[in-house]
Amino acid sequence: MSLVWDNGLFLLKGAYYTLLITVISMIFGLLIGIVVALARLKGNLPIRWLARAYVSVIRGTPAYVQILIVYFGLVDYGITLGPITAACVALSINVGAYLSETFRGAILAIPKGQTEAAYATGMTSWQTLRRIVFPQAARVAIAPMGNTFIGMLKETALVSVITVTELVRSAQLLIAQYFVNMPFYLGIAAIYWVMSTGFSAILHAIEKRLSKAY
Amino acid sequence: MMIRTTELSKSFHGVEVLRSIDLGVAAREIVVLLGPSGSGKSTLLRCLNGLEELSGGSLEVNGVRVDADMPSRRKRSSFREIRRNAGMVFQQFNLYPHKTALGNVIESLLTVKKLGRAEAEGIGERLLERVGLADKKDQYPSRLSGGQQQRVAIARALAMEPSVMLFDEPTSALDPELVGEVLEVMRQLAREGMTMVVVTHEMKFARQVANRIVFMDGGVVVEEREPEDFFRDPRSERARKFLNQLSDH
Ligand SMILES: Nc1ncnc2c1ncn2[C@@H]1O[C@H](COP(=O)(O)OP(=O)(O)OP(=O)(O)O)[C@@H](O)[C@H]1O
Ligand SMILES: [Mg+2]
Repeated sequence: MSLVWDNGLFLLKGAYYTLLITVISMIFGLLIGIVVALARLKGNLPIRWLARAYVSVIRGTPAYVQILIVYFGLVDYGITLGPITAACVALSINVGAYLSETFRGAILAIPKGQTEAAYATGMTSWQTLRRIVFPQAARVAIAPMGNTFIGMLKETALVSVITVTELVRSAQLLIAQYFVNMPFYLGIAAIYWVMSTGFSAILHAIEKRLSKAY
Repeated sequence: MMIRTTELSKSFHGVEVLRSIDLGVAAREIVVLLGPSGSGKSTLLRCLNGLEELSGGSLEVNGVRVDADMPSRRKRSSFREIRRNAGMVFQQFNLYPHKTALGNVIESLLTVKKLGRAEAEGIGERLLERVGLADKKDQYPSRLSGGQQQRVAIARALAMEPSVMLFDEPTSALDPELVGEVLEVMRQLAREGMTMVVVTHEMKFARQVANRIVFMDGGVVVEEREPEDFFRDPRSERARKFLNQLSDH
């Protein structure tokens, strides 16, 4: 176990990359999710169709394969991304598809009467979305969104395959150096656990604040 | 005429639920729409402010005209103009649950009229006072009774200073003991000279407040009369049947 402590700094650096990739992909995934949800709900036929195809393809293929395609596959077309960039791109695209479904469901869950009441006072459909529908939908979406984020934190383990030295790859490098497995694997498992529990707590606090309003 | 519909018709998936409605409502007039369930009262009301698309005919509200065969962009902008002039009150209140009573009332002032918050709140507080809820301004709808919620909804509709108010069964979702307070606010509005189109099952209100009863059945206007005449001596068989059924209960 002391081996883990001695290499703590190295593992923490891995944890930093795990966290970095998670947060960046969360932010871009969120944006993608909102845009795609709106495209599916408000877009014209080709846009709706495109958005649906995106969601279907991403949800119907392994994240692992998506990461390989972005990092190795795109090289064939002259697009070379650094490992961390590729990881963020692949995971943003991945999580965006799942979040768009969450948001779409949350928006559809808001009763029609809310929109009608807003329209009846002369509000435009964009004003209605922004001021009436989104705030209520956010409350519905926050819990499933939290689950998606925590799922993604763990999914970042996959990007070790494209040489991002996040937690898993940090452990693998140490294992190759010291020829012992268990302590390092247990070590990163503990770090994952701490991070996902921390995330849960933060999300829980946000959820509570949102629901206190009414 | 504040409202004028001309051969207005409406179909849902090929089923005609409004057929060639010609309805006129003069300024300061109070029209009560009566009719059995499914006769098209709500649909007619919702066509007036564009919550339902017209299938045919045309309408005019406060000088703004919409034709069923206008390009949809023009229809949309005309209806938006109509909506600024026509407040609507729904059976289920449809208050915004994430906003306080005052927040509900001033929402359109902030977004549509683009007033500053202070000015909007001043107007909102006066409106809440008018419906007797000045002390509830910071309450969320979930903390208000049904009657209070509906009064907030009326204040919200009044915020745009509409020239006509549309009510779709405003008291039907209320416990009987809360009906009176909402009707009282509506009577007050009527006294102040508001033009109103009201769908209601409150016959006493219809009798006392309406200038005219419009009786609908099967998507057509069957009878249009002064309330006293209508209730004393309905002309059509269908109206007679409708009134008999009411008094049976
Ligand atoms: N969105 C819709 N889609 C399909 N049919 C509809 C829709 N809205 C209303 N209808 C139909 O149109 C007819 C008229 O309905 P409407 O709600 O206008 O009646 P109403 O007179 O308001 O009845 P009630 O007294 O029950 O409220 C009914 O047959 C109803 O089933
Ligand atoms: Mg109705």
